[in-house]
Amino acid sequence: MKKKILAAILMAAMVLSAVGCGGGASEEAAAPEAGNAETAETGDTASNDNYIAMVSLGFGHQFWQAVKQGAEEAAAEAGYRITFEGPETETMVDKQVDMLKTALQNNPKAVCMAAIDTESVATILQEAKAEGIPVVGFDAGVGEEESDSKCSTDNLAAGAMAAEHAAELLGEKGKVAVIGHSQTTIDAVQRVDGFIEKIGEYPDIEIVDVQYGEGDQLKSAEIAKSMMTANPDIDLIYTSNEGACVGAYNGLKEGNLIGEVLLIGFDSSAALKQAIRDGEIAGAITQDPIGMGRKTIEIAIKLINGEEVESYYDTGCRWYDATNMDDEDIAPLLYD
Amino acid sequence: MAGELIRMEHIEKSFPGVKALDDVRFELRAGEVHALVGENGAGKSTLMKVLTGVYPKDKGTIYMNGQELTIKGVRDAQEAGIVMIHQELNLMNHLSAAENIFIGREFKKSGNLFLDKAKQNKEAKALFEKLNVDIDPTVRVGELTVAKQQMVEIAKAISFDFKVLIMDEPTAALTDNEIEDLFRVIRMLKAEGRSVIHISHRLEELQDIADRITVMRDGAYVDTKNIEDVTVDQIIKMMVGREIFVTKQKDFEDVNAPVTLEVKNLNAGRMVQDVSFKARAGEILGFAGLVGAGRTETMRAIFGADRYESGEIIIKGKAVKITSPKVAVENGIAYLSEDRKQYGLALGLDIDQNISMADMRSFINVFGIINKKKSMENSEQQRNALQIKTPSLKQKVKNLSGGNQQKVVLAKWLTRNTDILVFDEPTRGIDIGAKNEIYKLMNELADQGKTIIVISSELPEIIRTCHRVIVMCEGRITGEVTKEEIDQDVIMGYATRRLA
Amino acid sequence: MKSILKSREASHKLIIVCAFILIFGFFSVMNPSYASYSNIMTILLATCVNGILALGVSFPVITGGIDISVGTVMTFSCVMSGTAFTVWGWNIWIAILFGFFVGALCGAINGFAITKMYLPPFIATMAMQMITKGLSLVVSGIKPVYFSECSFYQKIATGEFLGIPGFYNAIIILIVVAVICYILFSHTLLGRYTLAIGSNQEATRLSGINVDKWKIIIYALSGLLAGVAGLVMSSRLNSAQPSLGTGYETEAIAAAVIGGNSLSGGEGSIVGTIIGALIISSLTNGLRIMAVPTELQSAIVGLVLALAVFLDQAKKMKAGR
Repeated sequence: MKKKILAAILMAAMVLSAVGCGGGASEEAAAPEAGNAETAETGDTASNDNYIAMVSLGFGHQFWQAVKQGAEEAAAEAGYRITFEGPETETMVDKQVDMLKTALQNNPKAVCMAAIDTESVATILQEAKAEGIPVVGFDAGVGEEESDSKCSTDNLAAGAMAAEHAAELLGEKGKVAVIGHSQTTIDAVQRVDGFIEKIGEYPDIEIVDVQYGEGDQLKSAEIAKSMMTANPDIDLIYTSNEGACVGAYNGLKEGNLIGEVLLIGFDSSAALKQAIRDGEIAGAITQDPIGMGRKTIEIAIKLINGEEVESYYDTGCRWYDATNMDDEDIAPLLYD
Repeated sequence: MAGELIRMEHIEKSFPGVKALDDVRFELRAGEVHALVGENGAGKSTLMKVLTGVYPKDKGTIYMNGQELTIKGVRDAQEAGIVMIHQELNLMNHLSAAENIFIGREFKKSGNLFLDKAKQNKEAKALFEKLNVDIDPTVRVGELTVAKQQMVEIAKAISFDFKVLIMDEPTAALTDNEIEDLFRVIRMLKAEGRSVIHISHRLEELQDIADRITVMRDGAYVDTKNIEDVTVDQIIKMMVGREIFVTKQKDFEDVNAPVTLEVKNLNAGRMVQDVSFKARAGEILGFAGLVGAGRTETMRAIFGADRYESGEIIIKGKAVKITSPKVAVENGIAYLSEDRKQYGLALGLDIDQNISMADMRSFINVFGIINKKKSMENSEQQRNALQIKTPSLKQKVKNLSGGNQQKVVLAKWLTRNTDILVFDEPTRGIDIGAKNEIYKLMNELADQGKTIIVISSELPEIIRTCHRVIVMCEGRITGEVTKEEIDQDVIMGYATRRLA
Repeated sequence: MKSILKSREASHKLIIVCAFILIFGFFSVMNPSYASYSNIMTILLATCVNGILALGVSFPVITGGIDISVGTVMTFSCVMSGTAFTVWGWNIWIAILFGFFVGALCGAINGFAITKMYLPPFIATMAMQMITKGLSLVVSGIKPVYFSECSFYQKIATGEFLGIPGFYNAIIILIVVAVICYILFSHTLLGRYTLAIGSNQEATRLSGINVDKWKIIIYALSGLLAGVAGLVMSSRLNSAQPSLGTGYETEAIAAAVIGGNSLSGGEGSIVGTIIGALIISSLTNGLRIMAVPTELQSAIVGLVLALAVFLDQAKKMKAGR
């Protein structure tokens, strides 16, 4: 019995001590619960008068943390309270459905949703809409039928933008490989589709290989290396998110291939920015996640107040590289 | 006597490297109880598995009522009315008795969609009533005693309307009363004209139940006799192929020999109540009693395998609080379990690994690296001393016969060199030749000054080997019998005496 | 040779070595660059993280248990070591050792929960998987913990050993860990008791062995090796990625199983585990080089897993007759 208690104490001590050092590591991570839901408190918890629920399609990635940050800022300014939840992996459809259902139980004034799978949440969202709860889609996965408005990056356009810069870097001639991060989420697919479609307009550029690494850095690293083994004459690798990009970067670095092949990426992180600054990654497309979070909440509040909104807002994307990343209009879009 | 029902002729069956059955014949009459005996490895089970379609035969013919019978699988045998109850019962512990009986043949309600449990239970109840046993059809089989589980198997066999029932060592785990009940049922089945093949090691009981007996040895047929024409000794001779050397232990007279183990007022649950006894160096002390008298529980508590609530254990004059087998072993107690497969051996490991297991620390160097040469040397020595029959010490223990397995367990404890050895049913499932070797070893160990405690449900074993016998009943010691008084009736008297 | 063939475990090793050679030969023929020196080194490097995890998980598996927490314990230990280095300003080597300690502690708690709180291994380690996953995110503030302040951190795994081109330090780490595990398993009490517990836990206890203590040590070893894998992983990525880790345990267990470690316990081999891990990484690498669609790659690896276990079972059935 003593030992059992000891074991329980040990476990508790571990949880607590880790939480303790969490505070040291990051100001934002002060939430004591080890789950993946955090609440930005701006009002009384018990009251749902000013409550907006956000269900995201990811949580751990910096991108989502940036969306959350923007949303929290906008909510705080307007005196709203939000919850921001998302499954650990961007494939857990059922878990996301549960999160949405739970969020609706709490009678939010509005729901903001980025769905992994459109079909799985369509009915629930339509019911919410029918009950008069405004639904704002953000980022991906929610169609017009289920939502009152939507704020997202136009990923097809973003992919095309990456392709244009790739063509420019290559002098419109060469071999290109693609490392995607998902074959199932719409935004990921569009980034690859937009890129490939646009590359098709350049007759001398050939796409030799397309593979997917689930956004896992280690997997993406292995993929980049095996692509180079199979086709040593690849001139450029395009990666569709931060994990794929930094992973491929590390893989190329291990293979001493930096400089032999151009790498372009997507999104932003401390490691990605540093590599671009050092010229080891040619450049990347950044979305505006903070702006997206902000816009989503702003639209939601407008809907709550009965104001007219448009059905779609493109929250934009920009190309950045070593030359322009410190520019005033770019720097705020980059995050760690 | 009715006519021939089954005849097996020239049956041969080989496994890689072994000829398990060599030109075996067997004949079974309708309405007889036919005992099938032989040492372990004689081929009894293999022969029965050929008859029930578990193994295909290599050569030979099986006739039923004079017609050739093709048995390609278990199903063919079942359709011919031949069923077998294995030693390890084939029941699903979590299902009810009725569900077990009718598994795969469930009664359905009209519409064929829902199970008709009521009818199933009624049918099962009828079967039990026919057998005159008191079992609730709805009770989960796991909650029944082994004897009652066996009755469920028999009821299942009856529900198939069998002609031949093969029972593999059905009495091994039963108490005397339960055996009586089983025999009553067997006689009833016989009266209905059904045949029973009874595989058993307990030769004494065969006189009660069997009509004829067939003896096998080393995969070959020896002889078939009417049971009244043979004595137990003759059967043994046929089984072993030679005269049996019956050990006679030296008398233990030295009452001044030091007390090595003293137990005072030990209590551990319902099965161990206020147990006190002493054992001396060089003594073989027997623990007799019926199954469930609390002997195993007492020894498990002393060994630290189970917790005890109160009492004192004094080893060589020193009071010891035994909290785990580790403490017991460190204080010089070894326990050879009645169920060596479950508690004594790591069956998947080899002989050397098993022998060295309890004393690994003497086989490692300062860096914690195992000295395999040293451990093999020790195992080799044990193998020679105990005459473990094996081609190699790297042989997995599961491939050994029961007798050799028991010797490996013994070798394990001899390697550890403990002074007190507790043998719990040391010869269960071991054939007669090996039994005698085990008795001889126990005597030798006692001569070396070790204390031997023997738990046995076989009275002849206790009478033949022990210097002194303690008798238990329902968790209490009910009597102590010294050498001069040791006698079957005296012991049975104590074993059935209940203290209020 | 005859005696090798006789032992079932040895014959399984033979099967998987053949499988490995077959896979390697097949891809080499399909694409000559597969067998190039640099790609072989790439395959070995790709084996490191999974190989070390698989070695660790082999021990609980051979006792008849399982450890599904290794992936996230790996993440947690490198997040902790990164935090110690970047936030608390510890010396990098002490921070690394601290990471190992965290891994071993998580493992020991698994062992504690299994032996003293009677949780089934699957449940205990699943709880640990969730706990460490959550804690990794909390401690890191859901951001990667970068080791960029330590100039040589990335070299720990990806530096070239003795300057041999393409021969990464991580490969040496894997070899050293494998050799240590081999010695532990084949030549020490730990290995012997691991086997004995897996073969018959009760008989082991009744032989006077403190089974609980050894199980705690065994799970702690699994956690410790997860910590070592965390070092290799974070060094390769020059950062501890708090959201990585799930899914790695599946691949590690798959490697152990392909290597002939029975999930019901009592039999296993360290060499087998390493070959199992090599099979997975060389197969994945080959499929990628042949540009097989990603979705098919996973299916093929699954097929190989089933096939490996089937061959083993088929042999067992044959031997059983």
